[in-house]
Amino acid sequence: MTIALEATESRRRRWPTITAWDLCRWALAISVTIVVVFPIWWMINVVFTEPGTPVSINPRLYPTSFAAGWDKVAMILRETGYLHAYYMSMAYALLTIAGVLLLGSMAAFEFALFEFPGKRPLFGLIMLSLMVPTAVTIIPTYLLTADLGWINTMQGLVAPGLASAFGLFLLVEFMKGLPKEMIEAARLDGARHFQIYWHVVLPLTRNAMVTLAILTFMKTWGNFIWPLIVLSNAEKYTVSQVVGLFNAPFSHQTVDVVMTANLLAAIPPLLFFLIFQRKIVEGIAMSGSKG
Amino acid sequence: MNSRHLPHYLMVLPFVALFAAFFLYPIVSGFYYSFHDWNAVTEPHFVGLANYERIVGSRDFSRAMWNLVTYVVITVPLGIAVAFGLALLVDSFSGFWSNLFRSVFFLPVVLPAFLAATIWRWMYAPNFGLVNMVLGWFGYPSVNFLNDTDTMLYSLIAVDIWVSAGFNMVILLAGLKNIPVDLYEAARLDGASRLQQVRHVTIPMLAPVLFFVMTYGLISALQVFDVPWLLTGSSFTNYGGRQNALLFPVMDMMGRAFGSVRFGQASAYGFILTALIIVVTAGMFGLRAMRRKA
Amino acid sequence: MPVEQMESLMRSSAVVKSASVLLAIAASPAFADEPVTLEYWVYSDFAQGDALALQQTFISEFKEKHPNVTINISGRGDDDLTAGQIAGAASGTLPDVFMNGLSVGAQLVEVGALSNLYPLWMEMPQSYRDQFDEDALKSCMPKPEELYCLPYTGFGEIMFRNLTVLKEAGIDTAKPPKDWNEWYAQMQAVHEAGKYAVPDQTQVFNSVASTYAIVGGIDGWGIDFDAMKTKIDPATYQKVLQLFVDMAPLNSGTSRNDQSTKDLFITNQLAFHVVGPWVNPTYEQAAKESGLKYDFVLVPGMKEDQHGGIKSYEIVGVAPGEHQKIAFEFAAYITEKNQMARWAKLLSRYNANAEAMAEPDVAELPLIEKSVQAVKYAVDVMPPYFAGAYPNCYRSIVTDNAAMVADGDATPEEGAQELVEELNDCLAN
Repeated sequence: MTIALEATESRRRRWPTITAWDLCRWALAISVTIVVVFPIWWMINVVFTEPGTPVSINPRLYPTSFAAGWDKVAMILRETGYLHAYYMSMAYALLTIAGVLLLGSMAAFEFALFEFPGKRPLFGLIMLSLMVPTAVTIIPTYLLTADLGWINTMQGLVAPGLASAFGLFLLVEFMKGLPKEMIEAARLDGARHFQIYWHVVLPLTRNAMVTLAILTFMKTWGNFIWPLIVLSNAEKYTVSQVVGLFNAPFSHQTVDVVMTANLLAAIPPLLFFLIFQRKIVEGIAMSGSKG
Repeated sequence: MNSRHLPHYLMVLPFVALFAAFFLYPIVSGFYYSFHDWNAVTEPHFVGLANYERIVGSRDFSRAMWNLVTYVVITVPLGIAVAFGLALLVDSFSGFWSNLFRSVFFLPVVLPAFLAATIWRWMYAPNFGLVNMVLGWFGYPSVNFLNDTDTMLYSLIAVDIWVSAGFNMVILLAGLKNIPVDLYEAARLDGASRLQQVRHVTIPMLAPVLFFVMTYGLISALQVFDVPWLLTGSSFTNYGGRQNALLFPVMDMMGRAFGSVRFGQASAYGFILTALIIVVTAGMFGLRAMRRKA
Repeated sequence: MPVEQMESLMRSSAVVKSASVLLAIAASPAFADEPVTLEYWVYSDFAQGDALALQQTFISEFKEKHPNVTINISGRGDDDLTAGQIAGAASGTLPDVFMNGLSVGAQLVEVGALSNLYPLWMEMPQSYRDQFDEDALKSCMPKPEELYCLPYTGFGEIMFRNLTVLKEAGIDTAKPPKDWNEWYAQMQAVHEAGKYAVPDQTQVFNSVASTYAIVGGIDGWGIDFDAMKTKIDPATYQKVLQLFVDMAPLNSGTSRNDQSTKDLFITNQLAFHVVGPWVNPTYEQAAKESGLKYDFVLVPGMKEDQHGGIKSYEIVGVAPGEHQKIAFEFAAYITEKNQMARWAKLLSRYNANAEAMAEPDVAELPLIEKSVQAVKYAVDVMPPYFAGAYPNCYRSIVTDNAAMVADGDATPEEGAQELVEELNDCLAN
């Protein structure tokens, strides 16, 4: 009843509502864009400004000195081993991605598509671990890593992050949706177990794998606490650690230099996003709708 | 176990082995330490439930829990509402503009959390911070966002939504795209307005996705750590901001571990928090089961 | 015969070699020729720019005498130093030589990161041992035959004044404020001129301690570890809390350690910054780049002949273990007069080597001169050192209490009562 009543009314006012709505959504979309982009834009402006200019004179709404910004970038690259930190962070991220994808997809293949004794309790146990805050395990994990003699090594940095319960969850959910008949057909064609995984299921899981790779990249790039305690040798510092030196309260640096260090840390993920923008967004969208 | 199952176990083995080494073992040993007084160096000393009692009885714990509850109750629904609004907004455009806005709104998600927090710490600075400058243009007095106990929590929530809205938006947007157009067609034929379409078609159809976003959001909100830590300029010996207005359980746990060197207490803290997360998540699943039956 | 000669030569060299090995074993548990790598952790600002260059000079000088030693220097923020040292102690991967603050010393002893260096210290020549400031050394020695660290750079807090802001507020900058009352009047004048007088002193434990020192009583600050009770006296502390109430409307809302506080000072928005000398490089640079006009004076006290502020030392610690002896030698090298004098000149920072401080070209540096005076009046941040660790709750109760009173949620009198009760509760647990 009420629906019908309102409907006749809204039909009468169709034209004006639509244009108002149009105005509204454009205004809204543009305001949100400003809120989202401005902080990042502002950070760039802080870097590309002559140091020491009071905000009252120059509110940092646009960059004013390319040379000043470049000097800061050059100074940081020269004095802090930032380039090596880039290399360390990249290696950390790429190795973690490779490991998470391989181990996760192998296990997900079994958990999603086959039945075997002990499967359910094992999977349940792994899923339960999603609810344990990382901080609980960090000390024992650290002690174990130290016992293995892996402090200050790449394997110490990477190995503890490889068995990703979240990654497994994502891949299992995705693989559950794969048609079982294809696997049966492959088996009838005489494919071995591993061959089915490698030649049939993996190619079909590509989208989920890309998503997982992206999420893993973002997580490892921003990971702060684990590199901090595992890598104590300054020559092995990751980007987040080098930035941490600048963010330390007693460092001599002024805002603009601190922001330069931060900006440099943001460049790889931002570039990564600009290049793979579409894939990233679609991948994440898929991860949610599968859950 | 027979040989028929062997290939399955072999495929699962690498994952399970690493999981056992770097997850199960640490959790089990953490559980053991949670009943001990332990500074990570000298022999652990059994204290029974004393660690748990001491934590629950401490004023920092009550403060952290109170902050956590307020934070979660506001930030999760509000964050999802904002994300949902953004998703509807992006969905109302098509083609190039839709893609552009989607990508732009997603941008903050790509930044490392430490970076987002650092930017906002400066944006919020009293007097010369950008937010206060804008307020100044409109004649408002400077607000001390990160140091006034009345505003601190809301300042955190704003940053939190800035950081995470894009992520949830993208997931919800995909859910929106999956809703068959005919349903809207039908509703429109029934004479439903735009708002009614959202209420009667979009939300029910989106329920599973909303459930995922909410559960995931809850689990991460309960573990909130790095953004408030950085916004308050916390250190292991001094954390939580003015009058502990931004003290959260994981922060307190880290402080007890690395600031006071009480690893037994920190482990116990972790298990209290884990129990809380499990209860909340189980509650979510229970609610869903009830709704489905109803 | 050439061959025989060769053989005897070889034999004799082998004898020499084994003899020297034996000697080395006798001299030190680490073989003198065997390559040794020492991990050396310093504060992040000591691992940047000119400071890093000088540290590296020290390292290469040390290596000239000990060619088998490699030293890796790495910088870390304050917090990361502590976290890394605790984690390192737990896993047996401690850095060999490291810096930290005196106030975490007790904790580092508790986890075994620091051990008693007294025997090694006594092996050093008397002339070296006598170089240190007696009080500084005492803070590393809780008992007569226990030495846990070598005191390194130190600070007595001073007050940086932005002269431009003060002039705008119509204040005569020729003479620093002689006591709290005069200082407070100046703060109000600054506030009336539309500028910030001081940072928010309630935010950090150290700035609360520093404000405590204005009211006085060096002995009333700290913990009595035998009774596990705070030494704070409510009647005195009430007066301290009143200062926070007085300053509340005048402050910038940023803590004294915030980078934004430095920014406010540089951009002529903030008049007074009570802090250690480590901010000076930032201000010096700003003076060159943007014409900041500032000076530094002693922190005024309640009475004219007394001053506020805190003091403390950074320490050099040496980890126990097989490299302890050589690590200690390195620690001793960098704390020796020549190095400490060069270090002080570069940073304009006061340090624990009294002989280095007495060198004319060091002593005449204005910042050092002021620091030396400030240390005489200042209060120790967390005394007594190495007697026990300050629990985290102790520090957070102190800052929360100050903030509560400053925010008007309790009167100074209630606040002081409550503080003492809460602190004793915290210590009892």
